[in-house]
Amino acid sequence: MTLPSVLIRIGFATSLAASAICHAYLYVHGYQHIPSIGTAFLVQASVSFAIAALILVGGPGWLGWVGAATASGSLVAFALSRTVGVFGFSERGWDPSPYAAVSVGAEAVTVLLWAAVAARSFGLPRWPRAQGWPQKARRQTTSA
Amino acid sequence: MNPDGMSRRQLLRHTAWFGAAVGFAVAGGEVISHIAGAEAAEHAHAKPTLRFAQVSDSHIGFTGAPNPDVAGTFGHAIEQINNLGYTPDFVIHTGDLTHLSSPEQFDHVKQMMTGLKTPHVFTVPGEHDSVDDAGQKYRQAFGAGSVGDGWYSFDISGVHVIALVNTLNLRKLGHLGADQLAFVEKDVARLSSDTPIIVFSHIPLFAMYPQWGWGTDDATQALGYLRRFSSVTCLNGHVHQLFSKTEGNVTFYSGTTTAYPLPHPGDGPAPKPVTLPAGKLHDALGIREVSYTTGETTLALKEQRLQ
Repeated sequence: MTLPSVLIRIGFATSLAASAICHAYLYVHGYQHIPSIGTAFLVQASVSFAIAALILVGGPGWLGWVGAATASGSLVAFALSRTVGVFGFSERGWDPSPYAAVSVGAEAVTVLLWAAVAARSFGLPRWPRAQGWPQKARRQTTSA
Repeated sequence: MNPDGMSRRQLLRHTAWFGAAVGFAVAGGEVISHIAGAEAAEHAHAKPTLRFAQVSDSHIGFTGAPNPDVAGTFGHAIEQINNLGYTPDFVIHTGDLTHLSSPEQFDHVKQMMTGLKTPHVFTVPGEHDSVDDAGQKYRQAFGAGSVGDGWYSFDISGVHVIALVNTLNLRKLGHLGADQLAFVEKDVARLSSDTPIIVFSHIPLFAMYPQWGWGTDDATQALGYLRRFSSVTCLNGHVHQLFSKTEGNVTFYSGTTTAYPLPHPGDGPAPKPVTLPAGKLHDALGIREVSYTTGETTLALKEQRLQ
């Protein structure tokens, strides 16, 4: 595994874990009582933690897609909660501070990392394997 | 083997990763829930300082397809509060006790509320409680201990509670007025900034949907007097649905109704009662439990559908 590959994995895992920690903290400290939002925070935190851990130990490329999808969904939900509301829930600005800002920043990093990997793979991102990263998408043809 | 497809070994490997992802997510969810549960149990062990229940918008006297028996559903709500498993320190009714403010409707709702097993019952008026007399009949029935046009405050278990009236002098939005704003300013002046504040009103004190009048035009000034407090919780009725919003140190919670649902903000031209399919009405109605534990900055809310 090359250095860029390792760094990108660490970046993905760190940003996903940071977002997960924020959501888990808010869930434990009050958000669990908000209808629908509590469940959504729990799902976000647990999925992000799982994806972060698996990416760190060398998981396949589609984990990056799942991580990016989770981060994007969280960003969209954040934007909705500051405008029209989500399941009747809305907040203002960067409250609760600093968790809202940290979470949004981490999710933006996740999405940007995914975009960088996807761009280098000409729209077919594969997760960097032991051969090194970045690399173009290529199909393995090993026998079953 | 298809040279463009996935080998069996690859498929197995991806399946294993997928299984691991699901397993990790479930395990992570369990751990977080356990931590949250342990925290809640710790708080439960240290008995909440204050526990109360909120009901709202009983609209006693309403007749129509959305709820042909508002007295029945309000009676269910009272039974539900009486069966919480503990005696709430008080019960608050956040307005629209009656539908048309008639003496009979006030008598009826007051009689029903005597069935609540709690030391104290508090109320604030809704606009349906003052349709023809600026709230005179409401104050005769429920205004004992209030000042001005029916507002008041009290301290309980270290928490300061303020009950506001924003349904008189209605323009398009709710309105507090200069006298009531002066009351709020004077009322909180003596309090230390770490005193938890709970504010009751009928119409939301935040701009939930001003196009339908779901807001209070001079609430900003009242909330300005509360800005220095570390915990401010505003509970309201009027909108017949659950909604929450945080603005700085203030959290707003709209409660649901025991009578009939209203549409979500902007869903239709006006907030007219909604007739739900048979058997679905109770899902839209409910009560709310609220508890406060010393040292916490937020109140814990638990919404219960009407059984």
